[in-house]
Amino acid sequence: MTALDTTHLTGAGAKPLVLKSNQFRKAREETWRELEALVARAEKRGVLSLGPEELERLPVLYRSTMSSLSVARGIALDRNLLNYLEALTVRAYLVVYGPRVRQLNGVARFLTADLPQAVRQARWHILVAFLAMFGGIVAGFLLAHANEDWIGALVPGDLAGDRGPDSTADDLRKDEIYAPWPGLVASFALMANFLFSHNTLVGLMIFSLGVAAGVPGLLLLFYQGLGLGAFIALHYHRGLLVDFLGWLSVHGVTELSAITLFGAAGLVLAEKVLFPNRMTRLESLASQGKVAAQIAIGAMMMLFVAGILEGGFRQLVQPTAWRFAIGGVTAMLWLGYYTLAGRRG
Amino acid sequence: MTVEASRNSQASDFLEGRAKKRRSIAITAPEGVTLFFNLADAGERATAFAIDFAVWIIATILFYLVLFFVVFGALKLKSQIGLTIALSIMLFLGFAIRNFYFIHFELAWQGSTPGKRAVGIRVVDRKGGALTPMAIVARNLTREVEIFIPLGVLMSLGHGNGTVENLALTAWVLLFSALPLFNRLRMRGGDLIAGTVVIALPRKLLLADLADAQAQNTFSEKHLRAYGTFELQILEELLRRPNAPDAVELRREVTDKIVKKIGWPSPVADADTLRFLTDFYAAQRAHLEREQLYGKFRADKNAAVTTAR
Repeated sequence: MTALDTTHLTGAGAKPLVLKSNQFRKAREETWRELEALVARAEKRGVLSLGPEELERLPVLYRSTMSSLSVARGIALDRNLLNYLEALTVRAYLVVYGPRVRQLNGVARFLTADLPQAVRQARWHILVAFLAMFGGIVAGFLLAHANEDWIGALVPGDLAGDRGPDSTADDLRKDEIYAPWPGLVASFALMANFLFSHNTLVGLMIFSLGVAAGVPGLLLLFYQGLGLGAFIALHYHRGLLVDFLGWLSVHGVTELSAITLFGAAGLVLAEKVLFPNRMTRLESLASQGKVAAQIAIGAMMMLFVAGILEGGFRQLVQPTAWRFAIGGVTAMLWLGYYTLAGRRG
Repeated sequence: MTVEASRNSQASDFLEGRAKKRRSIAITAPEGVTLFFNLADAGERATAFAIDFAVWIIATILFYLVLFFVVFGALKLKSQIGLTIALSIMLFLGFAIRNFYFIHFELAWQGSTPGKRAVGIRVVDRKGGALTPMAIVARNLTREVEIFIPLGVLMSLGHGNGTVENLALTAWVLLFSALPLFNRLRMRGGDLIAGTVVIALPRKLLLADLADAQAQNTFSEKHLRAYGTFELQILEELLRRPNAPDAVELRREVTDKIVKKIGWPSPVADADTLRFLTDFYAAQRAHLEREQLYGKFRADKNAAVTTAR
């Protein structure tokens, strides 16, 4: 093992040295080697790859090595030995106290309890996030109501499509609100995908910027509202307000709720950064970070649903009354889920 | 710097012990023992990410190639529809692979990914608790904003026009992704939220005990008073070095220094330096460990003996 050649050192006449740390090591080394082998296998193939006897042996070996470490720290000055034991105990600790949740159980618990509970916990944050977006809608409406040229400035080009101050009521009717259904494949797959990933990116930005005290996130929410408000004004001027709102409600209820939830998750983080209370800012952030992440994951799932509704059903269902019905039903379902699920247990 | 001078400074560096120290966090295990988690440094994190990034790109390209041949092969007649389906599946898979690659591996491999495993680092809970699935999800949710968007911005810099807005945007996103350089625990935004840190877990080999050998030189108590624990462990490191010419030379220098310092009566021949140093190490360690048992700990040669620790 060692690079050191010690054969020439055997000589007679000298008094043999007795080192406590050396004897200690000889007595315990076997235990460490056994633990090391088990830990290496658990790291490579997971704890479940160990047999029942080995699983029983693991905590025993771990505790014994742990006590070896304490003793070694007290009596041994052999640095290689100390480093070896420090590293081995950390690795063993992570195996012994590692997570034991099966992934599928985790998903079920998340949907039936964790997510709705996290959302209820953040109701005030949701209100603030909603107000920020609503403020954006009102401001966007007022600006575009006064001068339609604002639409170009408030809506990024690739999202606006051909819609703008030059659009006539007929254009909007034909190409947007009552555009024909493009067929199963194109509508479900391509559009839903694109809309889902674009919105998710915006949502994740709003969420992540919560760490920066929430201000950039709120600005982004406001900005999302601005574009929507401008579009509402455009359709209002063309006498299409009700048709537009119906068209929007099919997916908009789900999508805007999801964006609001992303914002609320960001605000949960921001609150912990700004008002850490008795903890340090870092501890405070970590204490609620998982709740915020749960809300964000929930919002991502909602965006996925919104993408399907938007890509698939929106143009399939043409009567405005039916569109409002879909919007209303989705609103009820989300509201019911988030207020009622996971109340018990 | 001349060769001679550099060798001298190497020797004195060695004796002064300029060993690299890692930052660490202390965690008290339920058994009541304090464990030290050594943090991974920025270089290790970057290397691990580069490996993961390469794996991700290769996986995505392979997926695309397979899809391209399968879907086009199957739907050659209606190629328009085939193209649409292939395109949409590609878009979705690209998104899914990018976002779930890290989450999947960190869940399945307990805080490790192919890149992290290759480098020998992994994610752990900052307080030493179990690494929960939600923490893993949380630390990876912000990855898109912290890493992929800045990467995109950087790549578009090349053929974009260097306007003030572009520069400001670049500065802002880089500031966000450079977060690990600004805090002691090297956490990125996702780690802050999830309460995690990335630690280094290098495998340490247990080498043979140097004090196993039979001693030929006997040192008296007087000889062993010169040094403390620190020098002992530096000497250990020197003795564990392979027998390369520079190690041999270094041993010669160290032997001379020790002989002079402890007042060893006879000079040591070149061939005997290793034996002398090994014997001295064993005797010194026996002495210091014995003293330590009596409650007298000595950190290094300059330190006074502390009786109460």
